[in-house]
Parts: sequence; structure tokens; C-alpha cells
Amino acid sequence: MKQFTIRRILIERGAESDSLAKMIPKRLPDIPKELVDSHDLALPEGIEEMDKESLRIIHYKGEFLKPCPGTKRYICCGYQILNVGINCPMDCSYCFLQSYINQPSLRVYTNLPEKLDEIGEYIDSFPERIFRIGTGEFTDSLALNYLTGWTDYLIPFFSRRKNCILELKTKTSSVESLLKSRYRERIVVAWSLNSARIVSSEERKTASLKKRILAARDCQKAGFVLAFHFDPLLYYPGWDEDLEEAVKLLEKYIDPESIIWISFGSFRYMPALKWAIKRRFPKTKIFDGEFVTGLDGKLRYFKPIRIEMYSKLSERLKKWYEDLGIYLCMESSDVWKQSFGWSPKTSPSLSRYLDHRVRKLMVG
Amino acid sequence: MKRKPLQDSPLQVDISDIDLSPDPFCMSFNFDLEPLKASIDRFGVLNPPYLLRNSDTDTHFTVVAGYRRLLAVRELGWSDMVCQILPDSFPPFKALLLNLHDNLVQRKMNEIEKAMVVQRLTRFVKHEQIITQFMPMLDIPANRQKLRLFLGLEDLEEPIKVSIAVERLSLRVAGLMMSLGTEDRLKINELFTTLKWSFNQQWEAIQWIMEIASREGRSIKEVMKDREVTEILHDSRMSNPQKLKDIVKVLKRRRFPSLMKAETEFRKGISALPLPKGVKISPPPFFEGIDYRVEIVFTKGKDLRDRLEKLSHLPGLDKITDFWKGPEYR
Ligand code: SF4
Repeated sequence: MKQFTIRRILIERGAESDSLAKMIPKRLPDIPKELVDSHDLALPEGIEEMDKESLRIIHYKGEFLKPCPGTKRYICCGYQILNVGINCPMDCSYCFLQSYINQPSLRVYTNLPEKLDEIGEYIDSFPERIFRIGTGEFTDSLALNYLTGWTDYLIPFFSRRKNCILELKTKTSSVESLLKSRYRERIVVAWSLNSARIVSSEERKTASLKKRILAARDCQKAGFVLAFHFDPLLYYPGWDEDLEEAVKLLEKYIDPESIIWISFGSFRYMPALKWAIKRRFPKTKIFDGEFVTGLDGKLRYFKPIRIEMYSKLSERLKKWYEDLGIYLCMESSDVWKQSFGWSPKTSPSLSRYLDHRVRKLMVG
Repeated sequence: MKRKPLQDSPLQVDISDIDLSPDPFCMSFNFDLEPLKASIDRFGVLNPPYLLRNSDTDTHFTVVAGYRRLLAVRELGWSDMVCQILPDSFPPFKALLLNLHDNLVQRKMNEIEKAMVVQRLTRFVKHEQIITQFMPMLDIPANRQKLRLFLGLEDLEEPIKVSIAVERLSLRVAGLMMSLGTEDRLKINELFTTLKWSFNQQWEAIQWIMEIASREGRSIKEVMKDREVTEILHDSRMSNPQKLKDIVKVLKRRRFPSLMKAETEFRKGISALPLPKGVKISPPPFFEGIDYRVEIVFTKGKDLRDRLEKLSHLPGLDKITDFWKGPEYR
């Protein structure tokens, strides 16, 4: 299991008595700890703005479960985000958090275990709905798990519920705690995938493509349902051959039958993110493509380029296995249609499609 | 609270005894000495410069405040003048602040001069203090990125600094230039200042140039040496605004080849249609959405009816939304 460098633990006043706040420092006995106020955000001189080597332990006052903030202009999958923390110890050049967060450090919310009953009650009050819940939106679902023990309490909790699945999305290969767990029901283990070239050039401190796929294989062998996300797809000379290699690795190690879904998303960004990225990664080539302003104000590849990427990748994946539950993340109906020959047309209809996948593969 | 007056004393000083290099307190850049010389010539120096005695150099005094005045009197041929000499124990940080306040009350500083101040402050105070205390005073947005930008300005080449000081080159663009080599920076500065690009045009164009270089695996210099760009620049029949417009077009075509091709195809398709007079059809911006627009200009209801009538019978109209995909769709 990969451990990341943590140089200091900052415990925000108000979090001291939470169970996780007591446990995490015990797992890092030699790291200096400091009690801080929530507004005390000044970084010591020389510490980089994202401050990915400080762990800040926080008693979170906001909502833990929230719908993914899609926009009306593109079709959204209707995912629910379980907000376990924000920021991540890996360092992808394209990470949207660089302009999204206005507070530094790896921030983990320690009162989540205490809030679970409330979340459970909410989910149970909609028995006809299927909640597709993920923790990998604002952080990596597994990277800090060795400190936070997220899987120890989230997996049993969600595994017991009838109308939800928990998707743990990661770029690590840290699956030891999953493999030790005795729960499998309603847990999806998902990997963000990219070409090996992009992994090594743009996704710093993440597991290599092969390690991710091998970890996926281990999880699958242990009985977990898998998902994959080719997101963000980047267009560069040779992108298709590189992705072909990634698909070949999947073919070699993964049984496609227990894949619940595979999503595609092309690189998109709010204008401000470009400058946050350029500041931190001046040599990155991710902005080389032809980006235009999309209907939601984000910059996206010019439509024919996106369509080319989606259609080629899906054709290639379908040669492997027809029924992979491929879907697009935040795309318009015409892009769906031109890429795949069909479109769910609306967000609720995409939700129904994915719910159907859940029923088919997971909920008996 | 009663403030302690400066313990300075006036002294007639030989100009040749004063170190007139701009360090360590000077914050003047790209100024015109002539008006000051004219004023001094007429009325003398109303406000004597402040100096510190040097202990370790050939010259006897360092300028704290009044750098321009001293340059002016030297150019006027004065051999000496009355200056205020600060006590030897006067702390250098205080000397810097004295000059800063002297400048702030007298004039508007240009961006390079502000950068000089910021740079000099780093010798005495932490970055955080510069951000919170001094950047607002200098009218610079108080954040780390801006601090980094201003700290980098002093390292830029003289012609670029002059362009910034006279507001011919955008500060944002200068910030991007910092990641480039000297030769590339100077070339871009030359392009932007000779043709008088607006700051927005500069901002767009520098990104295109850098991104073209990155995606084509070329140097900035090579991108700027583009045959078309060079020809436009040397075309004596073209006015500067025309040159600018054409260069933007060339760069845009290289930066967004597929988009530009789609736009051209769409235009070609539309122009081949016998559209009635006063009818204009526009695609969605960047072809991202799916809604096209038609604009009909008319003066009488009958004209509108005629145009709608003609439009409804126009062959090829149903293919309009595919025009941009290439000739095979037209
Ligand atoms: S793994 Fe995800 S959260 Fe972490 S840096 Fe990469 S994109 Fe951001």
C-alpha cells in the first residue's frame, strides 16, 4: 500500500473529539500535530499553494451527501457525492481542484461516521430510488484510506442498504483494505484510466496504468464489481494507439462481464483552471488541443474531436465486450448520438440507464 | 503620539561624490527628465535629496530619496548641491520606506517601479507582510500570484520593462513571458508593441503562439518566423491595423485548424446558397450548441413575406447544419 508524505497534522478546533480525529494522529505518531482555528489558513513560507503534505482534520458543518453538480446544458449521470474530504495527495496536472478549492491542505472530515445514520435514514426514505454514491469526486477514494479508514466503515454501511451502491474511485493500487473486507454487495471499485503516457506525464504520484489494472483484477477476483472511467481523455498525436494499449491491458487482465460501467469524459476546464495549472505545471501539454467554450462556460475540445475520441474508444472497447455500460460524462445529446449512434437524450434517462445497470449487476 | 523628526542635516555635496546607480533604494524607471530639468533650471531644487553616508565604496553617498533630482542637476551641469544627510545609524529599511512614501505622495508609479519597490522590500520583510501591508499601498491586488508576478518583472529585459512601464505591453502577458527565453520574449514584445495590439489581443495571441509552439514541437522563434506572418509584417502596402488583423487570422488558423476549417466550410456552404437579400444565417458559437440563427432584415411586412417565401423554397436548406462538417455534406 502506498503511503504519501505527510509533514504535519492540523487539527481544527471543534474536531478534536471526533473519533477519526483521535485515530488519524495515532496512525502517524511521528508527525507533528497542531491545533488550529478553521480560519487560520496561512501557509508557512515555502509551502506550495495546494499544501498536499499537510493533513487537516475537520469537523465538517456542510452536507455530506449531495447530488453531483451537473449543468442543464449537458447530460448528467445523476450521481451522488459523499463528501469525505477534499484535496488529494496525488498531483494530476489537470485536476480541477487546483482552482476549485480556496483552502489549502488535504482536508478530511472526521464527523462522517457520526453522520452516517442520518445519511442512511435519508437513503431509506426513498426506497424506490437507486442512489449511486461516490467518494471520488473531491478526493481519491482510496489514497488516504490507510489513514482515514474510510473503507472500514463505509463499506459495511453501504453494503447493507438495499437501494444504493457505493463507488470507490481511485488512481491508486491500494486495495488491501478492500480485499480484507468481508463485504462485496453494492460496492463498486472503480479506476480512472488513461493512456500510460498520460499517466506518467500528467498524473504525478498515481499508480501506473498496469498497477491500477492489476489491482482491479485482484478486486474482481475477490468478488468486487468494477467500473472504469476514461476521464479526462486528452487528444494528442498517438492518443488512439496509446489508448489501444490501455484497452489491451484491460482485455488481458479483466473479465468484462462484471464491469458495471465505463465512462468517458474529455478534458474540460473552467477558464481560471488553466492559469492555476500553468502556474504549477508550466510544461504541461494538456492545453495543446483545440478548446472552445462550451455551453456551461467550460472549455472543451471542439466537438468533432470529442466525437472522434469517444467513437473510436467505444468501438475498440466493444470489440472486447458488447455490454460494458459505456456512457459519457457531461455531454450533449448530439455528441452521444454521433459517438455511439444512440443517446439517452436527458439526464433522468441516463440515470435510468445506469440504475438499470445497477439492478442487473448488483441489486438482486 | 509625537513623531520623532528625522535627524538629518543639510550639507553641500559634490555630485561626483554621490553613487548614482539605481540601487538600493531607487524606485524610478523610464522617466522623462526634461520637465524636471526645466523646473530646476527655473526655480532650483525645492526639496533637497536625502542621502546616506557610504562606509565601504569609492563614492561617499548613497541616494535614499531624490534620485531623479540628482540626475537632473547632473545633466544641468551642477557640480554640487545641498542635500539632507541622514545619520549613519539610520536603518536601511527605514530609508526605503522614506523613499517609498516620498514617491507615493508625489506621483503615480508605473508597474516596473512598483516591482522595484516589491523587490527591494523582500530584503527586509516577509512575503506575507508585503502582500498584506505594501501591495494595497501600491495598488496591487494583494495575493501571492501577483507578488510572484511583480517579483519577476525586474528580471525582464529592458525593452520589455519599458513596454510595461508605458503600458504598451500587458502585465498579464509579461507574466506569461517569464516562462520564455530572452530571445523569444523580445520577439513577442517587438510584435506586440510595433503594431499596437490591445491588451486583450496580446493576451489571446501570446497564448496561441505558445500553444502552437507546444503542439507543433517548435520554438516560439520558429512560430514567429512563420512565412505568412513575416510577409504581412513586411508588406508596405498594408496599414498596421490591417497587418494586425491578418496576423491574428494566421495565428488563429494555426492554433485552431479544425475549428477554422469548419467555419470556412460553413461560410462556403452558406455563400453558395442563393439566400434572399437581407437574410443572414449564423451557426452556434464554435458549433458547440445545436441552435442556428437566422436574421432577416426588412422594412415592410411584404418584404418579410417575400423573403420567407423564397427561403422556404430554397434548395439545400435542410443540409445547412451539416455544412461545417466538410464539402461532402454540402
Ligand atoms: S487523483 Fe483526482 S483528486 Fe487527486 S490530484 Fe488527481 S485528479 Fe485531483
